[in-house]
Amino acid sequence: MRDFPPVLDTFYARGGAGPPTGPSAAPDTRTPLRFLIWTLRLQWPVIVTTTLLGMVWQLPPMVGPLIFGHAVDEGIVPGNVDATLKWGALLLAVTMTGALFGILMHTYIVRTWLISLYGTMKLVTRKAAQMGHVLPRRTPTGEVLSVASSDSDEFGALTEILARTSTQLVAYLVVAFIVLSTSVELGVLLLIAAPVLVTAAFPLLKPLHRRQEIERGRNSDLTSLATDIVAGLRILRGIGGERTFGANYATQSQLARQAGQSAGIWQAAIEAVGVLFSGVFVVLLVWLGTRQVISGELTIGQLISFLGYALFMIYPIQTFFEFAQKLTRALVSARKAIAIFEQQPPWHDVAEPQPLPAHGDLVDGLTGFVAHEGELTIVVSAVPEDTSALADRLGRYLSPDTEPISHEIGEGVKGRAARRARAEREAERARLTARDEERARRPWNVTLGGLDLSQARLTDVRRRILVSDTGSQLFAGTLQDAVDPHGRLDRDQAEEALRVANAEDVYDALPGGWQGRLDERGRGLSGGQRQRIVLARAIAADAPVLVLVEPTSAVDAHTEARIAERVADVRRGRTTIVTTVSPLWLHHADRIVLVQDNRAIAEGTHEDLLLDSPDYRRVVTRAMDVDDSSPGFETGASAPSSTSGSEEVSVRG
Amino acid sequence: MVDLLATSPDTWRDRTGDPPVIPRELVPPTTGSFTDRVRALRRRHALRERRALENYAQSRKPERGWPVADNAAVLAFFRTLFRERRKMFAALVVLNGLAAATGLVVPRLLGELINKTVAGDAASSLNSLAVLIVVVVCAQALLTFLAQRTSTVFGQDLLSSAREYIVRTILSLPLGRVEGASSGDLVTRVTRDVGTMSRSVQYGVPMSIISGLTVVLSIVAMLLNSVVLALPSLVVIALAYPQVKRYLQRAPKGYINEGATYSRINSTLTETVEGARTVEALGLAERRVAAGDDDIDVSAQAERYTMTLRNLLFAVIDVAFNSPRVVTLLVGAYGYAEGWVSLGQITAAVLYVEALSGPLDRLVGEVDRLQVGVASTSRLLGIAEVPPDRVAGTELPDGPELVGEDLRFAYREGHDVLHGVDLRLEIGERLAIVGPSGSGKSTLGRLLSGINGPRTGSVTVGGVELVDLPLETLRTEVALVTQEHHVFKGSVRDNIILAREDSSDDAVWDALSAVGATEWVARFPGGLDTQLGSGNQQLTPAQAQQVALARLIIADPHTLVLDEATSLIDPRTARTLEGSMNALLTSRTVVAIAHRLHTAHDADRIAVVIDGRIVELGSHHELVGKPNGEYAALWRAWTS
Repeated sequence: MRDFPPVLDTFYARGGAGPPTGPSAAPDTRTPLRFLIWTLRLQWPVIVTTTLLGMVWQLPPMVGPLIFGHAVDEGIVPGNVDATLKWGALLLAVTMTGALFGILMHTYIVRTWLISLYGTMKLVTRKAAQMGHVLPRRTPTGEVLSVASSDSDEFGALTEILARTSTQLVAYLVVAFIVLSTSVELGVLLLIAAPVLVTAAFPLLKPLHRRQEIERGRNSDLTSLATDIVAGLRILRGIGGERTFGANYATQSQLARQAGQSAGIWQAAIEAVGVLFSGVFVVLLVWLGTRQVISGELTIGQLISFLGYALFMIYPIQTFFEFAQKLTRALVSARKAIAIFEQQPPWHDVAEPQPLPAHGDLVDGLTGFVAHEGELTIVVSAVPEDTSALADRLGRYLSPDTEPISHEIGEGVKGRAARRARAEREAERARLTARDEERARRPWNVTLGGLDLSQARLTDVRRRILVSDTGSQLFAGTLQDAVDPHGRLDRDQAEEALRVANAEDVYDALPGGWQGRLDERGRGLSGGQRQRIVLARAIAADAPVLVLVEPTSAVDAHTEARIAERVADVRRGRTTIVTTVSPLWLHHADRIVLVQDNRAIAEGTHEDLLLDSPDYRRVVTRAMDVDDSSPGFETGASAPSSTSGSEEVSVRG
Repeated sequence: MVDLLATSPDTWRDRTGDPPVIPRELVPPTTGSFTDRVRALRRRHALRERRALENYAQSRKPERGWPVADNAAVLAFFRTLFRERRKMFAALVVLNGLAAATGLVVPRLLGELINKTVAGDAASSLNSLAVLIVVVVCAQALLTFLAQRTSTVFGQDLLSSAREYIVRTILSLPLGRVEGASSGDLVTRVTRDVGTMSRSVQYGVPMSIISGLTVVLSIVAMLLNSVVLALPSLVVIALAYPQVKRYLQRAPKGYINEGATYSRINSTLTETVEGARTVEALGLAERRVAAGDDDIDVSAQAERYTMTLRNLLFAVIDVAFNSPRVVTLLVGAYGYAEGWVSLGQITAAVLYVEALSGPLDRLVGEVDRLQVGVASTSRLLGIAEVPPDRVAGTELPDGPELVGEDLRFAYREGHDVLHGVDLRLEIGERLAIVGPSGSGKSTLGRLLSGINGPRTGSVTVGGVELVDLPLETLRTEVALVTQEHHVFKGSVRDNIILAREDSSDDAVWDALSAVGATEWVARFPGGLDTQLGSGNQQLTPAQAQQVALARLIIADPHTLVLDEATSLIDPRTARTLEGSMNALLTSRTVVAIAHRLHTAHDADRIAVVIDGRIVELGSHHELVGKPNGEYAALWRAWTS
């Protein structure tokens, strides 16, 4: 990797089966340090070049004072014009070289930083692509994203500080050599005083860091309060509470101000101490130096160059401390990155994968559910979790029945308690991983045409069986991208898909029609609009086996009736499974299966089941609620929901 | 029925020949002479500049979302904030000036010492001079502390006022706009833009003042030390000015563009991770990875643009800020030979020019940061430019009767969604509104609850137009209930008393008991003071729902409008909430925008809305008996 953005094939190779175009080696996730070394090794030529450029860039502060001293001693004081010009020309050359290499150094610093930054982002994207639905099962989404958005920057900062530290180390050694060979006494003072000066501020750093931490905490609370106010703004403006929450925000804002001010006072103290110590150091140096000049051990020019070096020596030492800090931060970030990158998909294709049979029924061994080939089968259950679990099994997905394990441990936890907490998390995650592996390895107990899904390649299963679950998501882009993400459809097919999902009104409402833009996750569309676009996309995918989970839960009865009829029509002859309890769907079904406690307990047509199965009647009439004598309007109105907004009106030109 | 897809052939696009996100001209050539390559680089830089400026211009005039204020508004805003802190600002300037000035005394004293050393009479005065420098250094340290402290206090104070103002503005956004708009843009503003503004107010403002003062005072000190030595150096430094100006005109736009590319990377990746299941189901992994790589390619171009801008700046300032040491040496040598300047003055001059480049660099950097901060602030102040959607009158309603007459409404000019709807609610009745998507039933609900005012006609309660009522009054007359059950970060009490913020604890407990939530709230150790919301005590969906209902009990409106449009409902939760819901609905007029037909079945009256008109109005039995009736047909489909 010589330039940004880096080319990577790790975790996921683009372009299908094509030859890898970049390094595809997996990162070393054994320890945080090894991981950092792995990232640095990927771009070692860039880092080495940066360091070499940096050495030349540091030339003016390294030799400038020396040259100036010589110019004073040999040129100015004796009045030797030639010597002055000679040393002046040399100083000019050194200054210009430094400036030129400063530009090159800056270019390379940007390069190495961005290789790290973009590289980490690419790794996260590829890991997400490789792991699929298993990743959010194991790790909270926020933690995956923060590796890309903030930890990546720490890795960039590390490459930068690494190059700069090596540069400064060389500069420090060169200057040490120069000053020691001029005057041992002053040289020793210079070399010892510089580290002492920097460490002098140490006792003040701890209280500063503690206060900065408080400040950061309060600021992030403040941000989440503001986000919270925006998230609930409809309620605050609709029902009220502006005064209460405005005051809550103001209180927190004042707390953040106080924390910021108290951290600022410590910062001011550190600066003042820095001024004091470096001032005293200069006085000491001058006092000793002048005495040496008086005694004739030192020339006046040498004294002046010592003054120059005294100003310079602070920087290398500061850089070394900066390196230590950034390395620590990078190690923390590396630990977070490892938690993502070390995960492996649980799926392993069997040694000799079988092709999926072109024909046959889809059968779930656990519940005894059967979907006949070419039929519309509707799954009915009193408990929505049962049907969504069945849909997951039919499509060979691990159910989202686990809480992802956070890598974050509480703010105040430190030392041994932190290590213990971390070890517990590790163990928990290992258990979860082992369980996923175990589930993925054993026979899946769902067969298509008699073949257990675990005997076929996972990619074949995905291509054959499409499960559109309630969590299906839209992506930012045009409406055309949303309905036809692969670019495989012609216009007629896409229009047909919109019609089947009764989503023509979304087309009409978006300025630009097919090229109208959807926001991220389809935000800006109403829940019902989103659901219908998701349905159109699923229909357009034209999968041999299609499983739709609650496809019309957010649309009104009129629309639902139309959708049910059109889906039944367009999918005629192909295996389709719909989970719903809405009567508007039920009489389009070829067969209905009632699932209860993970068993298929009854099956038949809507009419048969209404007559024969009391359980079915109970579930379905509950949905119709014709016989329910409780006062109307009972519950549907304010059910908890992740979506909001009103049905028709959210998209406007 | 009109064909909504009529324009489909015009807007459908063949995407196979789409150009790559990065035009070929932006890829550097790998062959060619040095001059060719330099020329190619210049062309690339110009193209990148154009792209950055386009993106910047777009961000200033967003097609959708909230408005953006202009720079004049930002300056006026900060001018007011500064004026309110005039004394503190004066102290900041004076203290920082004094700190910088004492710092500038030291090189002069050192020069003095050199002179004495050269003259050979250093031995006598060395100790006293050293003591004097120590005293000056101590004073400088003390002043630095005071100056820095004042800067922090000032910056933090300014910042807290600014952000509190922004939040107050958000909390007074017009109701109609809030109900209609997506909150994404607003979230970005209160997170990213407030962050950028904070950095520039907290550090940028004080630091640029300090650097500016230091630069000015250094120049004064240099001139006081020796005009002959100072002038040539200052001329050389001044030569950098045009390039610095060029840079400052371009860089902020470059950085704003760069920031936008990173948000883009972030949001694409967020979608990929959150939608991992969808990506896998539809085989979109390849596309998502490609989209991520494209975003990074675009971002890399934005980075290259600002990198080149910085390189062009460095090329000039590195030379202009560093060569004064050579200039001082040569002029000093000449002047020394001529007897114009002493060695001490030369020494002091060199120390001054070496110390000047730091504050100069910082000044350029801070002005940069300030400009980026101004851009973010202008997005924040844009929120204040949303015009109010109503002016409250003084008339109070006489009775609870809600009447809508001749209602028309358009979201887009010329596209009426409602075409003259008349509706009179009977007090205490339950009215269900049914109809297909896009028929205007939700819009009708919004007009009936006073969220929006009608384009023509009127909605009145007790004879007064809803939109003429102060919001506090409106909320206690009629409320729109949606599925939102947002639990705020705040105490249980804060979460419930919204509509009447002076409610007593007894009233809160009464509301909780009405919705059946007393038991679990009482179990919290903190009782009503228990903190809820993300990061605090978590509530189950059912509990969150009860909180939402208790809010309405406190508001106690005589009319409720329920919008069922989204109802991803968990039946088990629903059962436990039935009692709570009934407590709220009892003895109120209720309008339900119904999705489930059982709601309609149980209502006193049903209004069927189609294409913006009420086509049927009557009880379930009346409507179901109508031959060819819309409702009757739907009911048959539902129950067959």
